[in-house]
Amino acid sequence: MEAAYRHPWRPARYWIAGLIGVAVLLVIVASSILAILFRQVPARGTIFGLPAVGLVVAATVFGVRALHDHDLASRLRDLYRAGVLLGIGLLLWLLVVDVFTFTQAAGPAVAVVCALACVPTTSIGLFVVRRLDRYEKEPWRLVMVAVAWGAIVSTSLVVWVETIWDSVASRTLVPGPALDVSTAYSAGISEEVAKGLAVLLLYLVMRDEFDDVVDGIVYGAAVGLGFNFMESVTYMTHVYAVFSAEGPGQAAFAAASQWYSRQVLSLFFGHATYSALVGAGIGLARQLRRRRHRVLVILSGFLAAIAAHFAWDAWVAYFPISSSPFALVEMHLRTVFMQGPFTSMVLVLLAMGLQVEGNALGRQLIVEAASNQGAVLPDEIPVLVRPWQRFRARLRAFGRGGLAGYRRLHRLQRAQLELAMERWHRERNEIDEPLAAEEELRRRVLALRQAAWTPSP
Amino acid sequence: MIVSQRDDFRSLYRTMLALGMAAVVILVLGFLFFLRFAPPGQATGLRAHVQGVYAYDPHTSKVHGPASTSFPPDQPFAARVDWSSLPPTVTVGAHWYSSLEQELGGVAPRAAGDLARQGTLVTETLPRSGTENLPGEYTMVVVRYANGRAVELLARTSVLVVRKG
Repeated sequence: MEAAYRHPWRPARYWIAGLIGVAVLLVIVASSILAILFRQVPARGTIFGLPAVGLVVAATVFGVRALHDHDLASRLRDLYRAGVLLGIGLLLWLLVVDVFTFTQAAGPAVAVVCALACVPTTSIGLFVVRRLDRYEKEPWRLVMVAVAWGAIVSTSLVVWVETIWDSVASRTLVPGPALDVSTAYSAGISEEVAKGLAVLLLYLVMRDEFDDVVDGIVYGAAVGLGFNFMESVTYMTHVYAVFSAEGPGQAAFAAASQWYSRQVLSLFFGHATYSALVGAGIGLARQLRRRRHRVLVILSGFLAAIAAHFAWDAWVAYFPISSSPFALVEMHLRTVFMQGPFTSMVLVLLAMGLQVEGNALGRQLIVEAASNQGAVLPDEIPVLVRPWQRFRARLRAFGRGGLAGYRRLHRLQRAQLELAMERWHRERNEIDEPLAAEEELRRRVLALRQAAWTPSP
Repeated sequence: MIVSQRDDFRSLYRTMLALGMAAVVILVLGFLFFLRFAPPGQATGLRAHVQGVYAYDPHTSKVHGPASTSFPPDQPFAARVDWSSLPPTVTVGAHWYSSLEQELGGVAPRAAGDLARQGTLVTETLPRSGTENLPGEYTMVVVRYANGRAVELLARTSVLVVRKG
């Protein structure tokens, strides 16, 4: 057994991740104390949000433990605990947002309705984002951890920074373009850094599930969707409370407009795009050898995200929506014109990443097939490197063996691609696991192949 | 199937760096934009004194009652500023903003001396005629003008419009 990674065990990145985690907690604790001292209602939310953050941290610990647990029973137990803790944390934070920040007038019932309205759209967003990885999809548990961090931890970090920044700016700057730009810097920097930290932690801690630029984009977009979910609920309940003076119909219309703008029109254009840019930089750094290059691409990702966010917040007022019948068209055009270039860049990076990944996996599958160990057969390679062909093969398996046959082949294909990915990282000297891990994966593939060929009883 | 002999990250690397540079350009442009509307060297140290915000009667154009920090939605309000606390030749204006950042009336730029002589009140106007103020925070600012542009914040105060019931 030989470790491919040149450091013995527990490389420095675990310590860096630990330091970031401790720093995040300290910042939130400090902001909570400041919130009490300065008695600012929006910031006061953080003291009550602290238990929610604690619950998410505990859920993350159980989730990570589950990932490394080989015993199915204890893995399920840990996943169940993580799920319950995440759920409680999410609900608690929703309550905090509802009661202590903006929505006292709207009430918890409105907040729950708004949250429920955002669940289907955010779920669709997550489903689409996860499917962007055409070769090795990220585990749902990690995607959901990314969403939870975006929704709860990142929003908690942002509250205090923006409150202090905006409080200082509004006391010194004349309302108008200068104040708008200041607010845009505040939102761009604080929100993108807060969201990017989640991707950075995944990169540092979950290296075996963070393969390349594609994974970075997926995790980044997931964090952005989580943040967007919480922000949507906050804005919807806020405008509902403001417009409730004009009657429930007007209030519901205002909330629905916010929902459409944030959960439909900007679902992929806004926070998902910004955080995906951060993720792309971190994902690319995962595979670069020189530290200087890694630092540069991570910095570029953060800067791109901050600039994209800043450009929207600072200059959206220069693209006003008229009250004509074309207002809806104008709203869409504005989003496409202002955010489209950044989303296009994410898609370009994604396409380039998929090409590199596809070529590398194809190469590793050929080498694996040539080794004659039986995990990958030469005939399977053209199918494995094409998602559509894989799907067609699974459909044929469904025709032969029903749902069980479909699932068996799905598991086999996934394990084969994981083996190819493992080989790729080993070839590039990018992984921690000893060679035995690759042997274990190969044994798993062979066992799954055996199962796939054995007819169901 | 195209099989390359080595992974080529150069295109990705260069694209990321190009994005980073484009981002720097955007952020620098933003800063220049900021400087255009908040040019350095405009601080005079002047401060306007806001005496309070009062219930306002649009029919008599007068305020009544004690100063308050909260009002019901159907109660128009106005701020009383001590214009005499400013040099009479300084050009100043004042504006009300709703929590949705809509400008809701105020005082057009004039010499502080003129405003002091007339005892000008800074009144807010309802969002739409015949309607009430929406709940939320309303902010009034007093600003100094130079070359037709607001350049310095001289005072700021906020009140809450609270929903009935």
